[in-house]
Amino acid sequence: MGMSAATTAAEGIKFCIFDLRRGQQEGQELDKILFFFPADLPFSAQLSVIGLSEGLITFTRIFSPEAACEVIEAERHSHVFYEAEPDIWMVMVVEKNESEAIWRIDALRKVLKEVHSLFLMFHGSIRTMIEKEPAGGLIRSHLYPFIMDYLSACQKRSLLDNCCWDFLLGKKLQLPSFRDCLKERGTVQMLTVSREAAIEVQSLVRVLESFAGNTQFYSLILFQDLLVSTTLSPVDTINLFTYAVLRLTPRALSSGVSSWSYLRKGSTTSNVATGSILAQSASVSEQNFRSRDTSPPGGDNSHHIARPLQPDRWSKGKDGFLVTDIWGAEASSSTSATPTIWLQQTEERVYVCAYQYRSLTLILLVPVASILGEQGVSAVKQQILENVSFLPVFTEFFFPLLNPSVYSCPKQFGALIATLTYRSCCSLMIK
Amino acid sequence: MSGKASSSQSSIGLSRSSALSHVYIQYPPLRCNVPGSRGLFYDDGNKLILSPTSDQVFSWKTVPFSPLVAPTSDSISEGPILSIRCSLDEKFIAIQRSNHEVQFRHRETGETFSQRCRPESESILGFFWTDCPLCDIVFVKTSGLDLFVYNSELKSLQLVETRKLIVSWYVYTHESRLVLLASGMQCKTFNGFQLSSAGVIRLPRFDMAMAKSEANSKPVLAAEDINIVTVYGRIYCLQVDRVAMLLHSYRFYRDAVIQQGSLPIYSSRIAVSVVDNVVLVHQNDAKVVILYDIYADSRAPISAPLPLLLRGFPRFNTSVSQSSREDSGSSGANVVPDNEAVIYGDDWTFLVPEFICDVANRLLWKIHLDLEAISASSSEVPSVLEFLQRRKLEANKAKQLCLAIARTVILERSPVPMVARAMDVLVTSYSHSVKTGSYLKGIKSEKTSPSSVPHVSSPRSGADVSASRVDSLEKSVKHASAAAAGVDNEYASDSEENPSSEPPTTNLSDLQIFDGNNPLNANGSEQQEAQLTSPAISPEEMYSFVFAPVEEEIVGDPSYLVAIIVEFLHSANSEKVKVHPNLYVLTIQLLVRNERYAELGLFVINKIVEPSKEVALQLLESGRQNFQTRKLGLDMLRQLSLHHDYVLFLVQDGYYLEALRYARKYKVNNVRPSLFLEAAFASNDSQHLAAILRFFSDFIPGFQNTSDHNTYYRILNEMNSSIAA
Repeated sequence: MGMSAATTAAEGIKFCIFDLRRGQQEGQELDKILFFFPADLPFSAQLSVIGLSEGLITFTRIFSPEAACEVIEAERHSHVFYEAEPDIWMVMVVEKNESEAIWRIDALRKVLKEVHSLFLMFHGSIRTMIEKEPAGGLIRSHLYPFIMDYLSACQKRSLLDNCCWDFLLGKKLQLPSFRDCLKERGTVQMLTVSREAAIEVQSLVRVLESFAGNTQFYSLILFQDLLVSTTLSPVDTINLFTYAVLRLTPRALSSGVSSWSYLRKGSTTSNVATGSILAQSASVSEQNFRSRDTSPPGGDNSHHIARPLQPDRWSKGKDGFLVTDIWGAEASSSTSATPTIWLQQTEERVYVCAYQYRSLTLILLVPVASILGEQGVSAVKQQILENVSFLPVFTEFFFPLLNPSVYSCPKQFGALIATLTYRSCCSLMIK
Repeated sequence: MSGKASSSQSSIGLSRSSALSHVYIQYPPLRCNVPGSRGLFYDDGNKLILSPTSDQVFSWKTVPFSPLVAPTSDSISEGPILSIRCSLDEKFIAIQRSNHEVQFRHRETGETFSQRCRPESESILGFFWTDCPLCDIVFVKTSGLDLFVYNSELKSLQLVETRKLIVSWYVYTHESRLVLLASGMQCKTFNGFQLSSAGVIRLPRFDMAMAKSEANSKPVLAAEDINIVTVYGRIYCLQVDRVAMLLHSYRFYRDAVIQQGSLPIYSSRIAVSVVDNVVLVHQNDAKVVILYDIYADSRAPISAPLPLLLRGFPRFNTSVSQSSREDSGSSGANVVPDNEAVIYGDDWTFLVPEFICDVANRLLWKIHLDLEAISASSSEVPSVLEFLQRRKLEANKAKQLCLAIARTVILERSPVPMVARAMDVLVTSYSHSVKTGSYLKGIKSEKTSPSSVPHVSSPRSGADVSASRVDSLEKSVKHASAAAAGVDNEYASDSEENPSSEPPTTNLSDLQIFDGNNPLNANGSEQQEAQLTSPAISPEEMYSFVFAPVEEEIVGDPSYLVAIIVEFLHSANSEKVKVHPNLYVLTIQLLVRNERYAELGLFVINKIVEPSKEVALQLLESGRQNFQTRKLGLDMLRQLSLHHDYVLFLVQDGYYLEALRYARKYKVNNVRPSLFLEAAFASNDSQHLAAILRFFSDFIPGFQNTSDHNTYYRILNEMNSSIAA
């Protein structure tokens, strides 16, 4: 294994997900582990972390049966607990460091929550996946790349850095820094717009959603990294907003080398160059994980695992729609399959159609049940294109007022200039 | 433009007549039958039908049009009559006796005098009275125009000006004040003069287009091929080209005549009428009529060619005949002659702008538009609404139709972009009518008296008319013909506000007619019936007659209706039209019904839903299930400085201490102390109760003597003693 170099660094942080309903028999303890970071830690060490956590959880339950344990402060480590789903726990063990020990605990819990929410959005619940394949291979093969991608997403700016080994392993795992702790996760940054602009946006949204006829479409509109409008429920809005800021907005696209090239081939080749190290590490770890799987490899290997958080896999197509091959390609054609996500509020699966015009990102969510597969999606896209032919005009109208610093602002828009306000920014977590 | 007629159209629920027609004449007609009549003459200056006998002339007023109107009569002397017209003040009757002589008779005194021309060199083609300040009457002669003033002392005409021209024939309409003089071999070269109250304008000479049938034969233009048409305050000339089978249109500007394109014709005999600014081209041979709305740039007809309908004719409809019979007082009241029902008979003469004279039967029909049928025949809702919004004669009917159409398109869940355009049409029209004052004027006349308050200009054609202009128009109307504006220098540029409909002639100013006898406001009777002068629909009416009824009827997901309301707000916002809070309240209710609280929050925060007390109360009401929404309502109350309500709601929600602090800060003095005391008592907190008692004792003089104080003081003591115990 080429991971030996990392073992020393791995002591800084441990992150695991385990299922208390599994591995209750003597000798089957390994079954509990759904995810462990660092993956190259010896199983005995992994089991000791999980055993300790399990013990703490069970012990504290005696005193507080209703509210489970959230954090344990030990002398040298902090244990952060989050019960993502019943009996499925996410635990992060962080080595204490003089100055940062206390305040980041809540931020870390938010990270755990966010990881889980995003996983829910893309793959559905962990429990469902376990039930689908009780051996646990399926959930493990999904969780590992997902979480690793998520962690790398927090680190996207140093992607080209040679030390990217470090951010995956050891102390450089992007624990929320002091600044990150001030930025509360689980919120959205809204763009405050003038009434005129708000009505324009609403008008656009309603027209787009009216294509749906009897079924309900949803939409989300962002200007740069700020939310302009949403018709999703708050929880889904937060998840999709988080994802969009990580992967879909112009800034997220441009962080990759090839994001402005709409040739997807170019994108993939560059991926090899830039993300190869990451990919290698992930795949090695994956192998590492899978090698332990007790389940027979069977059809599992052929199963495509979508890695929605994988960086630099989205690009903007000629028609303005964002495309990705994350969800695999359709067998019949060379076009990529349209991404789908789960909405928590309505518990339906929806296609994600993201359209981008300059700084404006428009995400239309079309229930899978309401249309006929990929053909239906392209029909919807066609309708969008036909009906938002006014979108360029519309955004031209908005540009000066949304982003006065970037574009010179004609006088007539002076009255409309909206102020950018960031809601959030204030959760110093001192207990 | 589907060819569908009213009968095949059911969506709007308007089609009540089975007739395939967009234009109708209403039975009974005005009967101009007097024994010994020697023909019928139409005096368009005074809108009179004149029927001379050997020693008398009978005249019927056609405005307001009523089949029951009784004629007045004047005695005249014997002699041939070529034409007959009353002066505009109706004091004189002028009768053209021959090609060389016009005789005048004072109606009251009976004095007569004559004006002759030189018989050897010229002959009189005709004459007309004018309100031009320069002269009173104009003779059109083969040698040109003679302008005369009546001198009351000398009791004769005085020549003030002569315009020397060679004239073959001429056309004049009083509503346009325009006389066109034809000359040349083919009579296709024209000189034009407008003699309005603003003075005399000479138009540049121009030729009309004439297609050649064969190489050597040149068709000659006849007077009946020329129609002067006045729509939306603009003057056009429609010229029949019999060879090309086209109707060429020309628009008159102050200093130019510009051809505007051609309409196809399908009959060798055609006639043109104008009803409520809609141009009706009667194809006499085909016995159909085609409607054009020349306001828009499009030369497409409004609807398919359909026959003119005779409504209420006894043979077709016996129930109507019962009521209509009594007026046909002439002999044989029970027998309606069949020939009265001949549509497009050979004897029909079309009078400007909207009458048909059946010369043989001595009948006068008035042409009406069937707005229901027209609106039902097209599925292009926005353009139908535009058409209806331009109608003035039956403003109320047009308005009701617009409301019905708006309701229907929403109930049918038409595509949002289409409904958005429809909303935009209505809002824009309202905005224009407010700017021009015609909307408010309509309301005013409706409320005060349906009197002679004239409507001035259509909301569109006069959109740029300033307030002073409207005033002057009112005056001009009141003083009949005195102060009409006519062609005015204020119109430095062309005044249309719809650039797309304009030919590239925007530097031209229209020949305009604004005066008392403008057909736009001439038909007083109908306005009195309709009372409304503009079909524009205010946002309040949109709420009461469209959104509220639709909200009750619409089935299924209300988010469609929200989308429509957003589009309406969009239009209203871009036109700076204020929206009634009721509509916002409705929007909130609809969003809450779908439990779309997050979107509701966006609507309120972004002020798409404008703050008002009604809105705040609805938010509080809807917020019973959603705390965030209730908070928005409370915040709105506070932002609106509705301190009293804010305090009450705070108490209601249990924040009585905060309410007290707020009440003190903003000096809300009129809340009942008992509310706070009850709330504190309900919370069972003796300290709070004590604090409140102390607060009121300190800040309300005499509180200690009230029963509230005594009651709660006792309660407080009991609470304390029970704690102590």
